[in-house]
Amino acid sequence: MSGWQKTFSVALLIAAVSACSTHVSVRDPHIPDPLITAMPLSVGVRYPQSFDHFVHEEQVIGKEKWQIDLGASNKILFNKLFNAMFTDVTLVAESEDATTLGLDALIEPSIDAFEFSVPEQSQTDSFAVWIRYRIKIFDRNGTQIANWPINAYGKSQTSTFGGDEALRRAAVLAMRDAAALIIMQMDKSTGISKLINNDNAMPTTAEPAVQQTAVEEQGDDAR
Amino acid sequence: MMLDKPAISYSYLLLRGSFLALISLSLGACVTASIEKERAGVTGLEEGEGVVIMAKSYHLGNETENDFINCVGAAIGRGRGGLRVVPNQEFVDALFPWFEPRTAPADTKGLPDLMMRPGVAQMIKEKGVRYVIWLDGTTDRVAGGGSMSCAAGPGGGGCFGFAWWTNDAKYEASIWDLAGLEDAGTVTADYTGTSFVPAIIVPIPLLARTQSKACKGLADQLKLFIIDEPKPI
Repeated sequence: MSGWQKTFSVALLIAAVSACSTHVSVRDPHIPDPLITAMPLSVGVRYPQSFDHFVHEEQVIGKEKWQIDLGASNKILFNKLFNAMFTDVTLVAESEDATTLGLDALIEPSIDAFEFSVPEQSQTDSFAVWIRYRIKIFDRNGTQIANWPINAYGKSQTSTFGGDEALRRAAVLAMRDAAALIIMQMDKSTGISKLINNDNAMPTTAEPAVQQTAVEEQGDDAR
Repeated sequence: MMLDKPAISYSYLLLRGSFLALISLSLGACVTASIEKERAGVTGLEEGEGVVIMAKSYHLGNETENDFINCVGAAIGRGRGGLRVVPNQEFVDALFPWFEPRTAPADTKGLPDLMMRPGVAQMIKEKGVRYVIWLDGTTDRVAGGGSMSCAAGPGGGGCFGFAWWTNDAKYEASIWDLAGLEDAGTVTADYTGTSFVPAIIVPIPLLARTQSKACKGLADQLKLFIIDEPKPI
């Protein structure tokens, strides 16, 4: 086989493979500034390496292959969130000993699972995305005080957005859902406000929800 | 000597097609409509006040189409008595995270607590939103039948057959008054339309625009509900 024939064959193979796979990319989830008051707490945040470049690949049985590239959007999400929730936020490197930094708490977010469904699977015209995050919180001595799983969900219709765009939007909605849940429930679920150094200070955000929301009314099954 | 004649002549096909089309037209691609209103409080808009159209949470299984929400928003904002409509995404982003599908209040009982959250009442005032209109419902195909086949060859192509289907557009709009922190009422719209496609060579679609008629009907009634109707004494 001559050189150009080999090149042509490889190009044909790549074209055939790429024709059966879809790539969706989320560079920035564009999370709005949360309308909350920051908690007077000095926290450190340590991100896992996967937050720098998270890619999920999945072959839908009998259908095409999907690749969802979230890039560093998880980091962007949590940076925005924690900077709004706490008065003082410090990024802590993986190799750094957080107990020497004089922080009230160290937060370690991570992704446990990423799942999605396409319209062919759900028999609807919607893409859905589920992201299970996990937040571990350590006190100033390095003792773990919370290990909190967060189930976030987003759904987007293909009739409004094209297939790729609908999946991208469903992923962004799942991230917004996670942000909303963290703001509403973090203190209730982890007790992070008890780590405030000043005994007289009162937590002013991430407090238990005071209004009954649509989802709470239906129970957590709605997740 | 006998000349070969086609089994079915074109003029015969055209005649038959026209006949079927006429029957279809007489049947019409008609839409039947039913709209009900239930008023719970006095409504009205002051200078600079407007509305925002929201979909009920998909966490609760709501499947209201984004296209329908956009359509109602656009229809409420134009024409006689058009209201000021604040774009849905702009409102949700400005009040993040309090109107996300997970966190939005389930009913008006949650409004006083929501308004007490830092910055919420001020942001709603800044956006000039007086009413939140929550939409719930979908357009579904409830019946259908017939068959149609199409073929193409060197001499041309065509379709033969007859197909029909019925769509049902059922929507409910709940109106919340953010000034009084109360339920202002509900408008429900139920539109049913049957579409026909007879085909003799050329398919003739007679489509019932059920969803768009429901959008316009609901939007007109919402405008009346909010500003045009006389206030109860």
